Amino acid sequence: MKLEWEHLNSLQLDALKEVVNIGAGNAATALSKLLRRSVSMEVPEAELIPVYEVAERYGAPETPVCAVLIRCEGEFSGNVIFLMEEGEAFRLSEILISQDLGSLDEATKEDIRDSVNAEVGNIIIGAFLSAISLLVGSPLPATVPAVAHDMLGSIMDVVAALYGMSGDVALMSKTTLNVIGEDSEVKGTVVLVPDPDSLETLLKKLGVF
Amino acid sequence: MSTVLHVGMADLVAARHPATLISLGLGSCIGIAIYDEVAKVAGMAHIMLPESRGENTPKPGKFADTAVCALVNELLQMGASKGRLKAKMAGGAQMFALGGKGSSILSVGDRNVEATKRALSSLDIPLVAFDVGGNKGRSVEFRTDRWVLVVRVIGSTVKEL
Repeated sequence: MKLEWEHLNSLQLDALKEVVNIGAGNAATALSKLLRRSVSMEVPEAELIPVYEVAERYGAPETPVCAVLIRCEGEFSGNVIFLMEEGEAFRLSEILISQDLGSLDEATKEDIRDSVNAEVGNIIIGAFLSAISLLVGSPLPATVPAVAHDMLGSIMDVVAALYGMSGDVALMSKTTLNVIGEDSEVKGTVVLVPDPDSLETLLKKLGVF
Repeated sequence: MSTVLHVGMADLVAARHPATLISLGLGSCIGIAIYDEVAKVAGMAHIMLPESRGENTPKPGKFADTAVCALVNELLQMGASKGRLKAKMAGGAQMFALGGKGSSILSVGDRNVEATKRALSSLDIPLVAFDVGGNKGRSVEFRTDRWVLVVRVIGSTVKEL
């Protein structure tokens, strides 16, 4: 029997939430070690929505965001995206860079923040994928992270196009991590975008297909 | 008074002057405006993917080939003349640059641009201006007062096509 992922049942969606939960839990631990701060995690979501609504699902399409994307291709293949609103990304990089950047020119500062954001994304997504790799029971070769600073809608086009190729339904699975500081919180969202033909592998490993 | 119409993903909308047609946050998607200045009608489609491959979609705006045909038909029904139609488009970016096999999966933007150009030329509609490709998302707005496509990119100046 072939999996019709457009008709995932609630048990299967719950299993995918659990995948996000395990992956993001690992990512939260990694982030917490890196920042030496507590990191909390929101309840994961996994839902099927019309592919045409993807761009606006997580906010207004023109919201400026920083996104890090890593693709893995192994027994399980797909993309993981770490999304932060630009302001949050800025604050997160400030937390990490203890050095005072005051004397540097704007372009250099931006380069440094960019590379910090890419590295944070890399650590989070890497930890996320290693948890999935344990679950699948085989290594998941991953690409180097690609970073984009752009409108939320443009970033989510990647997800819409991927699902749009095989139908009119998209699987949106994500959770949000909160870095808790003395006086502020920084939020970032981890979005798991399995290749549709790879979902079967994942669900079989979880015993729900 | 001018009507402002939002064209969501895979939608297509046609309107009479005076109107402003808007598509926000295009990444690999294409925002295309087709118009007839004499009949004073214009339409916009927000194209997601290159080819329908005969798939029967409830949303003709989803694919380049079906979107261009459906939009032209709608404009003709509103009194446009096929010989006077012109097109302007923007979009088709590749948001993430990854090496290897991953890049072909994420390079749907380029294929969208090519497929849209093919669809236009098969109907002999001249593409008079375009701003496509690259790695930045775009928001577009087509205004029938001057028949211009305004293209906005984060952190960059506004372009008028």
